[in-house]
Amino acid sequence: MKIKVDYDLCEANALCMKACPEVFSVDDDDNLNLSTEQPDEPLRAKVEEAVRLCPRQALAIEG
Amino acid sequence: MSLAHIDLSDPDNFNDGVPHDWFRELRSEDPVYWHGPTEFDETGFWCVTRYEDLKHVSSHPGEFSSWRAGTNMFTLDDESLEMTRTLMINMDPPQHGKFRRIVSRGFTPRSIEQLTPRVHELAAAIIDDVAGRGEAEFVTDIAARLPMEVICEVMGVPEELRSTVFNLSNRLIGFDDPEYQTSFEDAGLASAEMYAVAEEVGALKRRCPADDLSTKILHGEVDGENLSQQEYDSFFLLLALAGNETTRNLTSNAMLLFIEHPDQRRILVEDPGLMARGVEECLRYNPAVIHFRRTATENIKLGGKTFAEGDKVIVWYPSANRDEEVFDRGDRFDVTRDAGDHLTFGVGEHFCLGASLARLQLTAIFTQILGRIPDMELAGEVRRLRSNFIDGIKEMPVRFAPEANGGRSR
Repeated sequence: MKIKVDYDLCEANALCMKACPEVFSVDDDDNLNLSTEQPDEPLRAKVEEAVRLCPRQALAIEG
Repeated sequence: MSLAHIDLSDPDNFNDGVPHDWFRELRSEDPVYWHGPTEFDETGFWCVTRYEDLKHVSSHPGEFSSWRAGTNMFTLDDESLEMTRTLMINMDPPQHGKFRRIVSRGFTPRSIEQLTPRVHELAAAIIDDVAGRGEAEFVTDIAARLPMEVICEVMGVPEELRSTVFNLSNRLIGFDDPEYQTSFEDAGLASAEMYAVAEEVGALKRRCPADDLSTKILHGEVDGENLSQQEYDSFFLLLALAGNETTRNLTSNAMLLFIEHPDQRRILVEDPGLMARGVEECLRYNPAVIHFRRTATENIKLGGKTFAEGDKVIVWYPSANRDEEVFDRGDRFDVTRDAGDHLTFGVGEHFCLGASLARLQLTAIFTQILGRIPDMELAGEVRRLRSNFIDGIKEMPVRFAPEANGGRSR
């Protein structure tokens, strides 16, 4: 699984961070950081939830 | 079953509120439905009524354009369309993103959180003014005040211009309601007056730049150039309008829900810790914006139907918010449910920039109302806006037991 972020769309709503803090974090300057672009398979459900919740639909999973 | 009895183009069919029975029929019988032409709509349009379909349309702005024909149901002449395209809401990517980024950092949850103490203070002052009286006209005395104060404050509109901004915003959005606006000509006049206010504020910010949205727009750049006068004016008008009217109606709609569902209100009065959930449920149950329009840019399939290039596609937010596939017993108002997935603020490219600000204001005003005057009830007729676009209340007389200390919060 590979996470794709559309940084033009991301507006730091931080719902991904709530859904999957293992991967997503939004810093104090409202920048989104990923701990890894290719998280381990057991995190899939959480990452999918993050993708679903993003109000800007800025996230996608490849593979 | 024939669905020909359904007419969503006639604003009179929204006089008693959103026709949820029709939307329930559409979701189950024909969720992507071709609504033929009517007296109010000469072209006909697709109705998108299910949650996932609405999400799809909103997240694919390349296929469903806001720019081609605007975002309202009615058809615009070329000149009006040209004007309307200067508003960010009627732009497509990549242009939309370039304008939006001028202000978007000011609206992130983190930025809005910094306004929390100030917004709670403003909300308390509004309730101070009415709590001792035992009666109020909810829309004017309560619901309208906080959004106007807050948006004017974040935009940097000086005190003396705030009521002008408020009145113009009413005239601009109530286009189906004769009480607010008699014609498209009057909308033109109201726009011109709002532009005059925008320029007055602009002149002020040029002399004294401040940490506010008007200054940001004034100095904002798109492709390395400052905005033109017209672009600045339109940006100002959109923020003033979007920040005022919608939040006011969300507030009035939510209050009416609490009045009509005293058991649900009691839950929040007894456990203010549930306020965030309660606010989300109010947002889900009764959105302020009823629909937006998109235009198909190519032949597109959705839900087994094929849209032709140029077809008008209308997405219906109140319907998606009660989609049985997503919300269990969606017709039930339940402040304890987790309703945060609602689409009241839209989704994708045009997701409401002010969502966090609206949430903060609703939380602040209902913390005050439910904490201090929890027994509010109707004291007269509720007068609704005549519109199939904005679900709004024009007038709502209320009464309540006056607050014991005469309405001063501390």
